Amino acid sequence: MIIHVNFLPKPGETAASEVIAALFALLDQGRLDPEVLPHLRMHLDWIQYKANFREPVAVRHATDARGERMALAELAIDVRRARPERLIDDLAVAVATVGGDEREPRSRVILEDWAPLSESSIWRFNRLFWQRLADWERQAGRGFEAALPSGRSDAHDPAAVADAVADFWTLLVELDKRGQLPAEIFALEIGVGSGTRTALWLDRFKAIDEARATGFYPRLRFLLADYSMPTLDRAMSAVEAHRDVVSMIATDALNPLRALAFLRYKILYVHLTNVYDNLPADELVRRDGQLHLVEARAYLPGPVARTVAAAHGLGQSELRATVARLLETGPDLFGDRDRGVAFWRAVWDGLCLEERLRRVEGSADVPLPPGLHGDDLEELLAAAPADVRFHVSRGAVESFVNTVPLLHPRGYLQVQDIFVATMDEYRQGFRGPGKLDGSVVNWVNGALLRMVGARAGYDVHFAPFRYRPGSRTTILYTTLRE
Amino acid sequence: MAARYLPTAVVGSYSMPGWLERAKNDYLRRRITAHDLEEMHDAAVKAAIKDQEVAGLDVVSDGELRRDNMIDYFAMRLPGVEIDRASKTSYYDFYEGVVRNRMPVAPLGLVEHFRFLRRFTDRQTKVSVTGPHSLVKRIRNEYYPTEEAFAVEIARIMNLELRELVRAGAEQIQIDEPYYSGFPEDLAWGVRAINALVDGVEARLSLHVCYGNRYGKPSWEGSYRYLFPAILETRIDQVTLEFARRGSEDLRLFKDFDAPFALGLGVVDVKTHDVETPAIVAERIREALAILPAERLSVNPDCGLLHLPRDVAFAKLGAMVEGAQLVRRELGG
Repeated sequence: MIIHVNFLPKPGETAASEVIAALFALLDQGRLDPEVLPHLRMHLDWIQYKANFREPVAVRHATDARGERMALAELAIDVRRARPERLIDDLAVAVATVGGDEREPRSRVILEDWAPLSESSIWRFNRLFWQRLADWERQAGRGFEAALPSGRSDAHDPAAVADAVADFWTLLVELDKRGQLPAEIFALEIGVGSGTRTALWLDRFKAIDEARATGFYPRLRFLLADYSMPTLDRAMSAVEAHRDVVSMIATDALNPLRALAFLRYKILYVHLTNVYDNLPADELVRRDGQLHLVEARAYLPGPVARTVAAAHGLGQSELRATVARLLETGPDLFGDRDRGVAFWRAVWDGLCLEERLRRVEGSADVPLPPGLHGDDLEELLAAAPADVRFHVSRGAVESFVNTVPLLHPRGYLQVQDIFVATMDEYRQGFRGPGKLDGSVVNWVNGALLRMVGARAGYDVHFAPFRYRPGSRTTILYTTLRE
Repeated sequence: MAARYLPTAVVGSYSMPGWLERAKNDYLRRRITAHDLEEMHDAAVKAAIKDQEVAGLDVVSDGELRRDNMIDYFAMRLPGVEIDRASKTSYYDFYEGVVRNRMPVAPLGLVEHFRFLRRFTDRQTKVSVTGPHSLVKRIRNEYYPTEEAFAVEIARIMNLELRELVRAGAEQIQIDEPYYSGFPEDLAWGVRAINALVDGVEARLSLHVCYGNRYGKPSWEGSYRYLFPAILETRIDQVTLEFARRGSEDLRLFKDFDAPFALGLGVVDVKTHDVETPAIVAERIREALAILPAERLSVNPDCGLLHLPRDVAFAKLGAMVEGAQLVRRELGG
C-alpha cells in the first residue's frame, strides 16, 4: 500500500497517523483482507472547499478501458471532515468494496450513470443556478457573492480595477501615438456577475480619460456577455450611468466567437472573473505510469436521500427521475416554485460524486478539448510528477481558444480565477471541484492553458492577486508570442 | 498550360501536416536524425505539390514545408548569423540569432530545394524568400551602424542566391515583407533594401506585404495606404496583398497612385476555416477588375496556408481556382 499525504497537516486536524492507525486496527480485527493491501493506495486530502462532492471517506476503483474492475483501488480521505470516532467504521465500509465484486452501499441513491466528470450532472446544476439565480437567492436570503470565502468578490477590488484600467489606458495611448488606435475601442467582459466590476472599471476609465483629455471614453464600446439573461439584466442596471457606451449580448462563455464573430481581431481588452472555474472539466490520473480518466456519477448518500424524499413526499425510488426533471424544467417542477427551489437546494446540498478511474491506453484515447493536442498532453505529463491527478480544463480551454481570435493584434486577455500554474502544484493538494452556494467551483489547469496559448500565438502568464492578503485568486494575462 | 488571364498560385506555404510538426519538434529534441527529417520533408513537399496541381493551380510552390518559420530558414543559412540552438523548444518558435561581424558571402542552399520542386512538377513555379526588412527585425544586429545598412548587406548576399535560382530555372520569385505593416516608418529604407535584393535578378518578381500570419492571426491592423507612394520606387513586377479578410477598400490605391505593378489579389481568407465559395472568389476578382485590367491580375490566397488544416487549405484552393475560371469565362480567356 502506498500512502499519499496530499496536504500539509495543521495542528488540530485529523492527523495522518490516526487514519493509518484506524486502517491497521481493521487489519487486526480481520475486517480488511491483507491480500488487497498491495493494490491499495490511500490518499489523504485536506479539501479546500468545505462544501464539496466527496464524503469524508470514499473509495475509487480502477477499471480497464471497458469499465471492468481492476485490482487497483484508492481510499480517499478528507482529513478536514473525517470524524476520528467514525474513522474505523467508515474505513470498514469503504474497504469492504475493495477486491471483491462490484457492489455499492445499498442505501445510496444513484442519480446518473458513469460518465467523465465533464459530463456529470453537476454542470447542469451549475447552469441551473445561473439561469435561476434570483429564485435561489430569494430562498437563501442572500446574494451569491456573500457565499464567497471572503464574503466578497476579488473582482470588485478598487485597486485591482484601477490597475487594470491604467494598463488598458496605457495601451490605448501607445496605439494612438502610432496612429493604430481603431476608431471604435472594443472591450469585453465575459461572465458579468452583478455588474459591479464593470461599473467600477467604467467609472475609473471615464475619470482618467476626462482628467487627461484623451477622448477615449466616447469611442469605447464595452460589451457585457453572459449566457444568463437575468444576470445580464442585473449587470446592465449596475452600469446605467454608462449606458451610451455599454451593450449586452447573450453569449456562451465556451464560445464567445459564435455570437461575436463580427468583432474578430477587433477587441482590445477581454476580461473574465471566476468563469473558467465554473466551466466543465475532466480529470486525469496517472498511477504506476498508467493514465486513467476519472469517471463519476452523482448520488445522494442514504441519510440525505431519506430526508429529501420524506420532506418532499417522494419515495426514494422516485428521486432519480425527479432530479432529472428538475434539471430539465427548473424549480417549477412541482407547480410550486418555493417547494421546487427547496428540493433543488436540498439535493444540491447533499449531492456527492462517486468516482472511478477508467484506464486509457494512450494520449490519443483521452477526450481532448479543441485547441489541445495529444502532443501537448504528453509534454504536460513529461513535466508532471509520476503519480498525479490533474485537470483537463475542457471548458476553460474551449473558452480560451474561442476568445483569443476576438483580440485585436495588440489586444490582451485577462482572467481572474483560481489557477494551478504548474503541474508540480498538483501534488500539493486535491484540486477537485467544490460547491460555492449553488454553483460549482473548480481549480483551473494553468499549465494547460499556457500550452494552448502558445499554440494560439500567446504567452500566458500568471500573477498573484496582490490586492487581498490570503487571496487564492491569480491573474492570468496574455502577451503576444512573437 | 498556365491560364491566359488570372493565373492562380499559393502565396507560398501550404498546410503543415500535424505529423510533420511532430517530426520537426522531435528533430529539435534530438529524437530523430536530420536525414530522417529530410526524408519526411521530401515526402511532404511532394504531397503539397500534388495537392496544388490537383486543385488546379497554374503556379506551384514547394509549400515551404521545409521551413520552421519564415525567419529561421534564412537566418540559419545566412553566413555570419550566430544561432543559439538552445533558444527554442518548439520548431515554430524563432531562434535567437545575432550578427557580430561583417557578413561574408556564401551560397544559401535555396537552389537545391528549388531543383527538388522543379523535378516534381511541370507547372510554373514560384519561390518565395523572406525580405531583408523582415529578417532585420528578427536577427539581432551588433555590427552594422543602422538597420538599413544591415538590411542592404543581407540583400547583397541574398541577391547572389536569387541570381543562382534564376540560373537554375526559377521563373517567379516572391519577396515576403510582412513586417512593413508593423513598421511603416521604415518603408523608405525597406524599399531601398528590396531594390538591392532584386538588382539584376531576371525573373518575374513580386513583393508580398500582408498584416502578418504568425500563428494564423494578424500581427497588425491598418490600411495599405502607408505603402504609397514609397512602394512605387521598388523595381518589382507585382505586389501581392491581402484583401479577402480585410475587404477591397484599399484596391483604389492602385488607381489613386497610378501604380504600375501587377497585383497578386488575395481572394481567400487564410485566417478562417470557412471555405469561400467560387462565387465569392469570382466577386472579389470582379471588384479588382474594376480597378485593374485582367492582364495585371493574378489570383492567390491572402497569405500562406500554413496554419490551415490540409482539407480546408485544399478546399480553399479548389474554390479559388473555380472562382478564377468563372471570371475567365466572362473575359473569354
